[in-house]
Formats: sequence, C-alpha cells, structure tokens
Amino acid sequence: MRKVLSQAYIWFLLIILYAPIVFIAIFSFTEAKAFGNWTGFSVKLYENLFTGGVNGGAALILAIKNTLLIALISAAVSTILGTVSAIGIFNLKGKKKRTIQFLNNIPMINPDVITGVSLFLLFVFLHFSQGYLTVILAHISFCTPYVVLNVMPRLGQMNPNIYEAALDLGATPWQALRKVLVPQLYPGMLSGFILAFTMSLDDFAVTFFTRGTIGLETLSTYIYADARKGGLTPELRPLMTLIFTIILVLLIIINVRQERSKANKTIR
Amino acid sequence: MGKRSNWAIPYLIFLILFVALPLLLIVVYALQDGNGGFTFDNITRFFTDSDALSTFAVSIEVAIENTLICLLLGYPAAYILANKNLNKSAVTAILFILPMWINALMRTLATAELFNVMGFTLGKGTLLMGMAYDYLPFMIYPIYNVLLKMDHSYEEAAADLGATPVQVFRKVTLPLSMPGISSGILMVFMPTVSTFAISEFLTNNKIKLFGTIIQENINSSMWNYGAALSLIMLVIIGLTTLVLGGEDSEVEGGTV
Amino acid sequence: MKKLLGILAAALMIASCSADRDHILKIYNWGDYIDEDLIGEFEEWYEDQTGEPVKIVYQTFDINETMLSKIEKGHEDFDVVCPSDYIIERMLRNDMLLPIDTNFGSTPNYIEGCVSPYITQCMSKLVTGGKDASKYAVGFMWGTTGFVYNTAHVDPQDVATWDVLRNHKYEGKIFVKDAARDIYSNVALYVMKDDIASGKITPDELLSVPNQEYVDRVEEYLMQIKDQVAGYEADFGKDQMVQERGWISLNWSGEGHWCKEEAAPAGVSIDYMMPKEGATVWFDGWVIPKYARNIKAASYFINFMCMPENAIRNSEVIGYVSACGDKKVMEHFQDEDYPEMDLTYFFGEGAEAVHMDKTLYPDKSDIDRCYLEHDWGEDSAMLINMWSRVKGSNANALTYIIIGALIVAIAAAVIISRSNKKRHSHRKGGRR
Repeated sequence: MRKVLSQAYIWFLLIILYAPIVFIAIFSFTEAKAFGNWTGFSVKLYENLFTGGVNGGAALILAIKNTLLIALISAAVSTILGTVSAIGIFNLKGKKKRTIQFLNNIPMINPDVITGVSLFLLFVFLHFSQGYLTVILAHISFCTPYVVLNVMPRLGQMNPNIYEAALDLGATPWQALRKVLVPQLYPGMLSGFILAFTMSLDDFAVTFFTRGTIGLETLSTYIYADARKGGLTPELRPLMTLIFTIILVLLIIINVRQERSKANKTIR
Repeated sequence: MGKRSNWAIPYLIFLILFVALPLLLIVVYALQDGNGGFTFDNITRFFTDSDALSTFAVSIEVAIENTLICLLLGYPAAYILANKNLNKSAVTAILFILPMWINALMRTLATAELFNVMGFTLGKGTLLMGMAYDYLPFMIYPIYNVLLKMDHSYEEAAADLGATPVQVFRKVTLPLSMPGISSGILMVFMPTVSTFAISEFLTNNKIKLFGTIIQENINSSMWNYGAALSLIMLVIIGLTTLVLGGEDSEVEGGTV
Repeated sequence: MKKLLGILAAALMIASCSADRDHILKIYNWGDYIDEDLIGEFEEWYEDQTGEPVKIVYQTFDINETMLSKIEKGHEDFDVVCPSDYIIERMLRNDMLLPIDTNFGSTPNYIEGCVSPYITQCMSKLVTGGKDASKYAVGFMWGTTGFVYNTAHVDPQDVATWDVLRNHKYEGKIFVKDAARDIYSNVALYVMKDDIASGKITPDELLSVPNQEYVDRVEEYLMQIKDQVAGYEADFGKDQMVQERGWISLNWSGEGHWCKEEAAPAGVSIDYMMPKEGATVWFDGWVIPKYARNIKAASYFINFMCMPENAIRNSEVIGYVSACGDKKVMEHFQDEDYPEMDLTYFFGEGAEAVHMDKTLYPDKSDIDRCYLEHDWGEDSAMLINMWSRVKGSNANALTYIIIGALIVAIAAAVIISRSNKKRHSHRKGGRR
C-alpha cells in the first residue's frame, strides 16, 4: 500500500512537471501560429525548421547557430581551464586552497542576474565593446567552476604518484599530462564539459547583460524578445521538442550504460 | 612545470578578473553618482523608493512561499526516490532533473500558455504554480543526493531501539538530511528573489520580482542605482548563505 | 601580472573592434515596426547609390523611455532611432540630435514632400527651444490612442468613454499598454473632464504642464482599476486580443488595425474606438542621435523609408499609418467599402471625399479632439514614478506577515540551536 501511494505521488509530480513539455510537443504538430490553437495535424513546422523557411526569417536559425557556437567554445575552454586548475587546486594546501575554492564557489551561488550585472559593469568599466567575446568570457566564468568540481573527485581517486612515475620514466610533462593524467580524469572532464555546455545553452540572464548592442541573439534572448511581443515563433515548438527528445534519449543511454558498468563491476 | 600547484595560477587570475573584480565593481558603482563622485544616495534612494521596496517585499514573500511549496512537494519525492524499497529504478530520479535541460524561458512560456488554456487568470496563483514547477527539481535533487548517500544503519539502529517510524524520521532521517535541505533552499530561495522575465510571463507583467527592477535600471543605463539594488541583493545572498550554514557542495557538484 | 592583464586587454580590444564601424548602420526601432524585407533591400540600394557596402544591425525596443535612457545615459551609438513626438522634443531640447543632411547627390530626395502637412504641423507644435524640429526628425508612422475591443463581448457604448476601465463587466479582460505617458495623458483627459469643461484648464495645458495634483488624481484612478486589469503589456496585447483572452486593450490605433486584420480569418471581430472625452494623437519619427557613427548611411536610410512605395509596404505589414502624405499612399488604401470622409487635413487638396478606414485615418472631427503629448523635462520623473507605483505595488499585509514570520522563525532557530549547544557543552563538562 505504501509503495502504491509513493509511486502514485511520484507519477503525479512527474505528470505535472512534464505537462508543459508535452503541451509544446503536441502543438508542434500543428501549423497554427498562435500557441494553443489546434488547426489539424501537420509536420509543416518541422519542415520549416529544417528548410529554413521560418516565419521570422533567418533570425531564429542564426540564434540557434550563435547559441551552439557560444556553448561549444565556452564549454571547451572551461573544460581545459577547469581541468588544469583542478589539478593545481588539488595540489594546493591550506589558506590558498580555501581562497581559490571560495572564489570558485561564488559563480555557482550567485543568481544569474547578479553575475550578469557584475560582468556588465566590468565590461563597461574596462571599456570593452560588448559582443560575442564578452558573452563567451562571461559563460566561461560561470561554467568553469562546474568543471573544477567535476574533475576534483577524480583527482582524489587517482594514485598521486603515477604522474611523477611517468616523469621519472622519462616522459616529458606534456606527455605525462596527455598519456597519464587526461585518461584518468576523462570521465570528470566529460561530465564537466556536458554540464558546462548545457549551462551555457540554457543561460539567459548573463547573455542578456553582456551581449551589447551589436544585435547578437541567442536562443534564450530570441525567445525573450519574441515572448515580449507575444507572438512566439511557431517553429520554436518543434525545436524545443527535438532538443528535449535528444536530451532524453542521451541521458537515458548514459545512465543505462552507467548502471550496467556498475553491475558488471559488482559481479567481478 | 615542476610544481603542479602553480597550475591554479591562471585560473586564480581569471577568477580575480571575472569574479572578484566584477563584484567589487557592483560596490563601487553603487557608491557613485553619475559623475563618479562618492555618494550614499543610491542606497538611501532604495529605502525611499516605494516601488522598489514593495517589489522587494513581494519578492521575498514569493520566494518564501515558493521555497515552502518546493520543500513540501519535493522532500517526500526525494525520500521516495532515494528509498530502495519504494523505488527501484534510477531512471525515475533522472526524469525529475530532465526538465532542467529545457530552456527555462520556453518552459515558463509553455506553462503560462497551459494556464491560459485551462482558463486560469494569470496572477499571483499562476506565478506560484509556475515558479514551483520551475524550481522543484532544484529542491529534489540535493535532498535526494543526501538521502541516497545516507548511512541507513542509523535508522535501523533507532528502529531496533524501539523508535516508531515517525520518531525515526524526526530524530534520525530529517536531521541527517539537513545539508540537502539547506542546499535545496539555497538553490530555490535566491534565484526566486532575483528572477526576471519568468515572473512577468507568468503574470502578464502584473507582478514583477526584484530581478526585474535590477534589469530595468541596468537596461535603462541607470547603472549606479542598478548596482545599488544588486548590492542589496548581494547582502541578502550573504545572509541566506550564512543562515544556511555556508557553502554546500551537495548540489554544486551536480554531475550528469 | 600587469603584463598579462595588458596582453589580455589588448587581445580583447582587437577582437571587439574587428568589425568596421563605418560600414555598419545601427538602427534602433520599435518592435514589429518595419517590413523586415526592406532592411536587406536597403543594403543593396545603398551600395547601388553610393558604391559603399553597408551592413544593418537592427535592434528593437518596446518602451520609449528605455530607448531614450540608453542614448541619454548610456551614450549608445545607434545611428537611426524612431522615438515618439515628446521624446523627439526632449532630445532636441537636450541637444541630442543631429540635423538630417538631405544632400543625396544624384539620389532623389524622397524626404522632401513626403511628410503630410498634418504631421509637419504637429512637429511645429513641439517645444524645442527654437530649433526647427522638421530639420531633425522625419515622420514615420502616426496614430491615436484608444480602445481596441472585441465586438462580440463589448458594447461599443461602453468603450466610448475612458470610464470603461472601471466597468466590472470586463474585469480581468482588460489589457493596458505599458506606456507611462500615454496612459497618464489619456486617463487625465477623463479624470479632469470637469475642469476641462469648466474651462479651468485646457487639454493642451493638461498634457504639457507638469502638475503633481493631476498626477495624483490619475494615480488614484489607476489604483482603483488595478484589479480589473489582466495585464500590462509592451507588445503582447494584440496577441491576447486576437486569441480572445482580452476583450479590451488600451492601445494604439495601429495595433487595433493589426488585430482587426489578424483576427478576421479566425472569425473574431475586433474594432477600434477613440473615447469621447478625447485622446492623444502621436507620431513617431526617424532621428539621428548625436552619438551616431554612420551619419551618411543613416540619412540615406531615412530617405529610403520615405519612398512612397516603401511607406505603403511598411504600413501594409505593421498595420500602422504612414506619416507619408503622398497621394500614392491615399490611392493605395482607398476602398469603396469604407465610408466617405474628408481627409484634406492629411492629404491636402483632392482628399475632400475619400473612402478610407477610420481606424487608420480618423475623420477631421475626430482629429479635433485629439491632443499632442509633450515632454515634462526633469518633471517627467513624477509621471514615471507614478506609473512604477501603479504597476509595482503588490505588497499587502500578507506579504509583511509572511516576512515577519520568517524572521521570527530564523531568530527562534538560532536561539534554540545556541541553547542546545550550551546544554551539550555543559553535559560534556559534567562528564569530565
């Protein structure tokens, strides 16, 4: 009985959580311009999305490209910076370590608006003209801490001497890094990268404050501008449905594989 | 290359430049007038600005209510998910964090649209429902993590010593899950206060939260007052973190 | 450390300045306020005419004051902006505009003779401190302010007065434009109607002379209707009307026309009405702010927008009425289905009896009870603050009770945990 009630509760919450997403998905299969109107089944919006025949012109496609580009660059840079720094921080001790860890925690605790405003003021203060570069720098600043946190536990699990061993055996530091450290840290780096990528992809507030006035739009700012006008571009519906489906499938695959490898390990 | 602790130096410089300096600049701009002179006017202006004060109060109220709703809905969910007897599949837990990967604005708009279709008038009620929907995963996840890692022998020991299930929960499980709860509160309370865009979409611009006021000022190039409002926000963040017992690595370590 | 920062700064500078500003034209316009195809066409046309390439960076705003502030305080380098009448007035008074150079070489000057005499007359009423506004601004669109309403749910008699905002029949179905001055001016015309009737104040004085007492009375009225209002919108009101979520929208005439056209295929009937107490007439015009960095392309762009065929295309797409008084525009929008009216005030001679949509081109008699808004200079703050209070005051007793309860709870928790600690340490001490 308890189990049934528990399951019922969980599924009740899940249904509520997914209702809007399912709602988007359902209405991605109709042509109606206004969200919420049903004018019969159609895959026209999906076609539009892929052939570029979007009502709002090329703006949406450009926003998608910008979003992906910014997310990829920020996540890649964050992963490299975060991994190197994690190794450094791991080998630090005492007050220095606490200071840098404290600084590393700030972007994660700060609400987006504060991060956005503070970076905006920085760029104003330094007279940088804002655009792609400032957005990418801003994204790196709030993504890197997550990479650091994902790589650190891996360093703890690693035998601290194997890097030195590699050096003693004649490897250059670069070789030792590539052949010894990276393979060991890889899972942490990967999850850090994925997290950084999705954080960047999803960001609205920080981008909003640091994009300047050169007309740079990402998906989030595009949606915001669109929603203020009321007429949400219909092609956003299939786009969101696709993004969600891809992520759903990816996450399930990753987790099923993790479960399996765990199971394998315990058997061994 | 010898000392690997040096590897942290570039990042330290980066952190100083892109985290510490910007926060310092909030303080600097907050204490300046339009011409760069020192002043407390921006701060005192907040305490006489009835619009900002009222919005601030409403934001705190909504944040309290939202945090409570998320906690009341989220704790049982996290408890069930982490309990091997009640839930066997890890995938169910993943299903709870999955919506976080959908663009928050898009989710919010879909929620608002759903309310419209269901015939609700957009306002305070829909704001709370929509916010709870947006932030529930942030409450469930840290509590779930703590409960999952919890050593269940304490619970068993308490039960063996004759505690009723309710007593076990109150005296053992709940205290042990406190770190998760405080992370959850931190993850929900602060972002709710500083929300912008989301609250407008859920209420047809009728209720705005503190983040919106900051945004409006910065967007209208009133940087000094905007910075002062951000500073007030920062103070609240500091206080909340202090009350909730400092930094917690439960959530932040969020992995995929 | 310093060196590193220097290098970093230099790298950032290079990267951020890479785009050649001379070949960029930054336009800052209202959202949904242009036929977007014309943007690309202008780039081609400009290169044709001058042999120079240009790339348009097009951005939009939805609140006049935000736009003004970005330029006034932020010194943003937009090249062409489209503010409303009273903002043009303010920008001129504060020396924020550059005169528009109409020397286009071999390219025809479309600006001359484009703007209707009526708009020119409105422009001349602006209080600019001696400057000739028509040298600095070229009218783009114009219209009135009133109610867009759903004819199936709303009695036209009701929306013939601003008092409809108080009518409980329409509770939760009213959308109000998020435009501080327009709301103030129109509501003031209603709230002060007795003073106007008794001759204590003229409508023109009401809109041009700042007066805290009137602002207070308007605020009182707006607070009364707060619960009636379904939402304040900068741009989404028209969508709410088309979807029948709102029945009445305090809005601009152009939005009314757009709604009418958009809603008709869905079987929703929408109309537009100017209340009897009077309303505001407004125009938006292209100007070149003094921080502009591509003045040549900016003036060419304004010229391009003045071509009658482009004026028609813009009007067709956005639903607003072009400020262009060219006969081609009149001929394009004539339709025998519309009632006959006298539009000589706008199109000059030959427009004595034309069939036009009265939402777009009001009859002379309607225009006579429309008034132009004016900037209040530093006193504008009293109006902006009033509007912020109206929109923002959502805190009530419950708010403070909840916050109080939280503070008490935190205090209690701190005290309890302190005393617990003491007890524990006491016990430990005892054991020792």
